[in-house]
Amino acid sequence: MRLVTDDDRVFKALADPTRRFLLDRLFTRDGRTLTELESELEMTRFGVMKHLRLLEDAGLVVTRRSGREKLHFLNPVPIRLIHDRWIDKYTERQVSALANLKHQLEETA
Amino acid sequence: MTTMTQIQTTQVYQVFIQASPEQIWEAITKPEFTEKYFYGARIELANGRRIAHGPAGELWGDEAVLESDPPRRLVHEWRSQYDPELAAEEPSRVTWEIELQDGGVSLLTVVHDQLEGAPKTAAGVAGPGWMRVLSGLKTLLETGKPLTS
Repeated sequence: MRLVTDDDRVFKALADPTRRFLLDRLFTRDGRTLTELESELEMTRFGVMKHLRLLEDAGLVVTRRSGREKLHFLNPVPIRLIHDRWIDKYTERQVSALANLKHQLEETA
Repeated sequence: MTTMTQIQTTQVYQVFIQASPEQIWEAITKPEFTEKYFYGARIELANGRRIAHGPAGELWGDEAVLESDPPRRLVHEWRSQYDPELAAEEPSRVTWEIELQDGGVSLLTVVHDQLEGAPKTAAGVAGPGWMRVLSGLKTLLETGKPLTS
């Protein structure tokens, strides 16, 4: 079973240049077949499938059937959730630190 | 090969939510819930239509419901009536699929497709648009509080 907020899987899935390349390709054009994705990588079909499986397990890629074809779609939601959970928290502090600095400088000026 | 991002005529978004399919269905079809995460829109299903009103009561959307199978599947037209430029484009289609998983978790999939005649809508709702809605919906259902950012 996949956990609801399985950040580990997302971070792990992103920690590989081939998988980031696959996500970038889907970002540029979504809904691709394995054959299309494979043609852009110097890797065996099996290797590409393994990477896609990891991306799917992390929820970053969703497959949908269209007739006889299996199409791969980029699902950006897990990255957004990580952004909301992690990135916002830390950037917010920096921003407020800057805001405080501005406030202090303006008061002493 | 082009480096430009093409218009995505089919967009797929998926999120796990710690909630039952019934709770998710309520949250996407009842105005008191939708106003907390859907850009303030009060959305309801009535007489085969999906009607959306803005906070001041202005009409934001009036779309045909194509399929309704509570609490599993809802398919409706999409026309962004809150923006005249987007509203002039051809209607597209939104499909909500809710699947119960193990452990009291549901998987919500939103497919926004048939966007061929609506390139501006495709660009506008893509990415941040739907993600903000789904992230907000998840937060609301799991914590009871709206996402404030």
